Amino acid sequence: MSAVADKYDQLQKLGVEVISVSVDSKFVHKMWNDKELSKMVEGGIPFHMATDAAGKVGSEYGVYDEAAGIELRGRFIIDPDGVLQTMEVLPPPVGRSMEETIRQIQAVQHVRATEGKEATPASWIPGKITLTPGPELVGKVCDVWKP
Amino acid sequence: MTAKVGQKAPDFEMPAYYQGDFTTVKLSDYAGKWLLLFFYPGDFTFV
Repeated sequence: MSAVADKYDQLQKLGVEVISVSVDSKFVHKMWNDKELSKMVEGGIPFHMATDAAGKVGSEYGVYDEAAGIELRGRFIIDPDGVLQTMEVLPPPVGRSMEETIRQIQAVQHVRATEGKEATPASWIPGKITLTPGPELVGKVCDVWKP
Repeated sequence: MTAKVGQKAPDFEMPAYYQGDFTTVKLSDYAGKWLLLFFYPGDFTFV
């Protein structure tokens, strides 16, 4: 939670809004924010902390663990048209990487900006070479890009 | 509805806590914006 809050300014610069979701009530969210998170993040959590008490939303996103009554660590990037662009699900004991989340946001934003004409190869970051899929690229990726 | 990359994200409307206030978040409120939606096991855990 605080790892996302730490990157909130960067996410805002990328034009990305944030919502966190767990099964906890909004009252518990407030308590967690006031008692602990506000000590880790200046001003407290800057985004909406949503409640999915019965796991209904989590079920639709494939991250609600019915047996344990919790949400798995699911991360979804949704574009301005409401289309799901990337998704990642990690098990509860494994924390995620905000660097990777931001890298994926930059990649899907780049693809959208080129109207799908350019693709971003493995481990692409802004400024690195992109690929333009088409007949002329077939069998030639090795000429223009190395892992 | 099931979440699938390349398709419309499942709609939602949830109660929320936001900077001292209790609010509601709806997917439709984010039309025209990029959205990072993330789930985690529970409050008072690491994310």
